[in-house]
Amino acid sequence: MVVVGSGISGSIIANELSRAGKTVLILEAGPGTDSSLVEYEAFLTRFYDAAVKDNQSPYAPNPNAAMPRSSDAVRIWPGQPDSSTYLVRNGPLATDSTYTRVLGGTTLHWEGKTPRMMPDDFRTRSAYGVGLDWPLTYTELSPHYAQAERELGVSGDVETQTFGGITFEPGYVYPMRGLPLSYLDTVVAKGIDGTAVELAGERYELRVRPFPQARNGIPNPDYDDGRGFVPVGAVSTNQVEEGGRCQGNNNCVPLCPVQAKYNARKTLAKALQTGCVDILVQTVASKVILDPVTGRVSGIEVKAYEDPVSPRHTTWTMRGHVFVLAANAIENARLMLASGLGSSSGLMGRNLMDHAYLLSWGLLPEVAGTFRGTNCTGGISDLRTGAFRRQQAAFAVDIHNDGWAWAVGSPYSDLIQMVDQENLFGARLRNALQSRISSQLQLAFIIEVPPSESNRVTVDPAYTDQLGNMRPVISYTLPDYTMRGASYARQLARRVFQCLDAADHTSYDPEDSQYVTYEGQGYVIRGGNHLAGTHIMGTSPATSVVDDRQRSWDHKNLYLVGGGSMPTIGTSNITLTLAALCFRSARHIIQQLRADASLTLPPDAPSDAA
Amino acid sequence: MTTRLERFLAFSADATAFTRFELQGTGQAREYLDTVVRIAGDTIVDRLLDLHLHAKAVAAASGNSAIMEHLLRRDVLSDPRLGPVARNIVKMWFVGIWYELPREWTEAFGAREGDVTFVVSGTAYAEGLLWRAIGANPPGAKAPGYGSWALPPHIPALAAH
Repeated sequence: MVVVGSGISGSIIANELSRAGKTVLILEAGPGTDSSLVEYEAFLTRFYDAAVKDNQSPYAPNPNAAMPRSSDAVRIWPGQPDSSTYLVRNGPLATDSTYTRVLGGTTLHWEGKTPRMMPDDFRTRSAYGVGLDWPLTYTELSPHYAQAERELGVSGDVETQTFGGITFEPGYVYPMRGLPLSYLDTVVAKGIDGTAVELAGERYELRVRPFPQARNGIPNPDYDDGRGFVPVGAVSTNQVEEGGRCQGNNNCVPLCPVQAKYNARKTLAKALQTGCVDILVQTVASKVILDPVTGRVSGIEVKAYEDPVSPRHTTWTMRGHVFVLAANAIENARLMLASGLGSSSGLMGRNLMDHAYLLSWGLLPEVAGTFRGTNCTGGISDLRTGAFRRQQAAFAVDIHNDGWAWAVGSPYSDLIQMVDQENLFGARLRNALQSRISSQLQLAFIIEVPPSESNRVTVDPAYTDQLGNMRPVISYTLPDYTMRGASYARQLARRVFQCLDAADHTSYDPEDSQYVTYEGQGYVIRGGNHLAGTHIMGTSPATSVVDDRQRSWDHKNLYLVGGGSMPTIGTSNITLTLAALCFRSARHIIQQLRADASLTLPPDAPSDAA
Repeated sequence: MTTRLERFLAFSADATAFTRFELQGTGQAREYLDTVVRIAGDTIVDRLLDLHLHAKAVAAASGNSAIMEHLLRRDVLSDPRLGPVARNIVKMWFVGIWYELPREWTEAFGAREGDVTFVVSGTAYAEGLLWRAIGANPPGAKAPGYGSWALPPHIPALAAH
């Protein structure tokens, strides 16, 4: 089997298949040695040394497998796509979402929140007349959620996560107990718990609720019918004892220094131990090759490079029985479209989704210990579903333990302001730092974006990278449905700040590359790096790209896996759901390989020179 | 005659409201001094440190400590040549970053080699005093331990002045 991409999707499928005795070759476009700690520590050093600590700061730029950076997004003018960086942005909205192309993929920099999707999220079309229905229900996916929670090592408490229709198997507990809420969360809870909200004729009561997280906490002895759970710490070829429990580094994004946060290298390490898995790094998939007679995939053409800076490369074709594209929603669609494979549905690359993030930031009247803990421990989840979804998008709210960092670059921006503009010095500077940073409260509203065919990834031969691969071209805008949710989110933020006696410092700069207006009000909407929906699953080849097992309708031995298969994303960070989908697909592929005796065997060697 | 490092520490203690003891405890004093000397040059650094000592001495002689800050503002912080360098020292102590000097400074006094925004070192990042000032750890370093975030922050009291 050939898997394109070593992120969480590819790693889960490779691990499951290798455990069933299948031989797997993983192709990774980016760099990566093995799973040594030396390489991981080099990421950390690079992060420490970076003056701008954005979510790609630990990872070296690589023109052969370029990574979008949030700072790449610039204002798009109609008819003038911005092609100055890897993602060609066609507008009208410039997305600042990113993904990381190194061994282990974006799970190196992800934050690690792992809420399940709500049952309603799988049927928004029938329940609310919006978006699409999945070919799967929450109940069908539920056992795979449990598998994913084991693999990722989720800390959470079932009691706090049973709401809005989410149910668990009787007796189920998460592998580890929930991480404690931050002191900041409890300050917010004191002010807002019990606040009643009326929306579309229904009444909701707000409360601060913890988020489940793929981060090591205290193992729950009741897990697995009393067998318990052993947390997986740092991955290393040599023995190393760290990462068994979160230490509160407040650096989940862009890199947990001790690997207490799950990253896909943990799954890859297990896969490698089977002896059935090989990984080729610095090997960029450039074309999916079809057998013209059967329509099945016969190989993947790749470009392998030695030096990330130099375009020098060799071209090879990798062959196998089954092919899995697990390169994320944008890269999967890019590869298929660059191969001339637009799907008989015409939907390849369409329905691109990402969560819309609206930030609101204020100053609490007391020192609340901001900038401590994991990046986020709690938030408000009470408006994640309800009858109002007929009219406006649902959202969850994150209470950020890292203050106004995302909104305005705190605490660096505060220090510069105080020293250079306010002329503070000595004790008064110290007092200002204390009172104006440790009382920061940033609320991030993660707002639902329904599928829309005009939000899409395309390719254009006019835009290629230095290996000659066509780059993704992104067309993206936010529907009114989402903006109605954003507008309501802003009102709710004002209300929360009022409850907390917090001064609202929110302002949206009309010059910002992601400034949008809705009904006369301006907002800045950030991307969430939750890329989904470019090869959606469905019940028919006419209306979807893959079936409910993520198998291509057009090419029977090809699977497109990951966020791209999701027809909707609700208000849940997508990783847990796409991991669950990959467990489901892996089981199916194993069954299929056993059942499908008609497959012709490939040559002994997994690859041959083109 | 005090050494330049001692004078640098004396200025830095007044500028940050951390004690000399705390500043030395970061292990960064020599490196920060070397950085500012390398970029701004001996003359500017010595002038800045001398004026600070002078302000301190005048304040001590008059018995009015408020005079020190007044003189420092008048002679150093508001000075077009010394002010931006002094502020850079303050920022360097708090976040371990040398910030590129303002354009007006470069135009008036000449561009200096190495004057770009950079993190002095990985250790300097981890030793940034800002985090200590707010009772937190530099993200990604000096982790305080599981669950510590649930407790109120421990913010150190300011040194007496």
